Amino acid sequence: MSLDSDYDVVIVGAGPAGATTARYAAQGGLRVLVVDKKSELGTPMQCSGAVSANALGECNVPFDDEFIAEPIYGFLTHSTSGEQIRLDYRAVGRREPLGYVVDRKRFDRYLTKLAIARGAELSLKTRALGFVRDGERIRVQLERFGQHDEVSAKVIVGADGIMSQVGLWSGLHVAIPLGDLASCLQYIVEDVETDGLLEIITGHEHAPGGYAWVFPKGYGMAEVGLGVARTMTDHDARWHLDRFMRESFMRERFCRAKVIEVQGGGVPLAAALKQMVADNVVIVGDAARHVNSLTGGGIHTALRGGCIAGEFLAGCLPSATRFTRDVLREYQQRWQAQLGHQLAELYRIKQKIFRDPDFERQDRVLFETVGNYFRPDSKYRKV
Amino acid sequence: MAKPLTAVSFSVLWHACIQCGACVAVCLQREPFISPFDTIAVETPCAIACMRCEQVCPTSAIISRAVQVA
Repeated sequence: MSLDSDYDVVIVGAGPAGATTARYAAQGGLRVLVVDKKSELGTPMQCSGAVSANALGECNVPFDDEFIAEPIYGFLTHSTSGEQIRLDYRAVGRREPLGYVVDRKRFDRYLTKLAIARGAELSLKTRALGFVRDGERIRVQLERFGQHDEVSAKVIVGADGIMSQVGLWSGLHVAIPLGDLASCLQYIVEDVETDGLLEIITGHEHAPGGYAWVFPKGYGMAEVGLGVARTMTDHDARWHLDRFMRESFMRERFCRAKVIEVQGGGVPLAAALKQMVADNVVIVGDAARHVNSLTGGGIHTALRGGCIAGEFLAGCLPSATRFTRDVLREYQQRWQAQLGHQLAELYRIKQKIFRDPDFERQDRVLFETVGNYFRPDSKYRKV
Repeated sequence: MAKPLTAVSFSVLWHACIQCGACVAVCLQREPFISPFDTIAVETPCAIACMRCEQVCPTSAIISRAVQVA
């Protein structure tokens, strides 16, 4: 299939942020092209896949067995020594899951199918190479199955993740500070028991500048992983994960573990971009560092950012004659009002914790902050 | 005669790389410095030589060596 020559919006990246931007923009009547360099969406897996039911509901994503790996009913936070804060909502009679661990390959595909159903067009094995201005519009250069192609658009959306090239082409300051990018690795394992809870293990000894986790993955599997800040350790994430499984207080639980997949990624525990728009450019999701800096959760924030960006573009573009930074700035203002203040506060909390040179106190504060974050009365739980 | 600048050049242990892009995310280059496999550009002189890409890699898949550039 060949591409049309003109679109309203070209979206680079069909992850949760890009697919959701596409869905809302197409639903609003825009001509939308989504390009992704991969042959299969959601791969290679770079995240644990935890998302709240609330996030799916807010962003009108129907619950579907197609993407749900395992339902989640609560949280169990461990301190370095094994002390626990348990919040199991089944214990107070709740039957509906609080959220899910999703299979990202199926989840990203599902979100993209929702966008296609609203009229968005998808082009896989398509890498965006750059764009040039053409009057008020832009021409986006693509490489599609190795062949050069070009389309015209009013706006390009950078939903291209932590390594955002769209942001770089736009002259935005996208490099993530080393101390703000959690270097993460996780193993999908068999023979590690889980019980419908997201387990988080805090402590500098296990994961300096981050935390370790054990999440249920469905079909009897679990995700065991951790993220570290490389400014706080001389070792890579793999070294820390192997040591955590071999030497921590949980080692007995891992003694029969069989690793069947290795996954990893960088999680931006960073402040959001100061500029998320440029002339003809909108940045969303991980690319804009729309991430909860305390939990590292990025699916909810990507979905919400996609809703905000897609709705804004659908409202703005039909009547606009220019697509400058000033015209597009309202997207950032809406994002700031709906999510920005809370995410900024979470970033400040995270920074304060990890800058404490007293590691014993740091461990204590992180354990209590993360443990209490998930309580029903936490003012931050919605992000 | 101008003194040659010291730069570094990166190679990637492809069988250790998990293609997470963390190396690209922390890169301070203002122009694209990326390989077709979502890693930092390989066998290309980098004069910044901050080594952040090498540090952030979860699997230590990036190897650097000093190179001279005219």
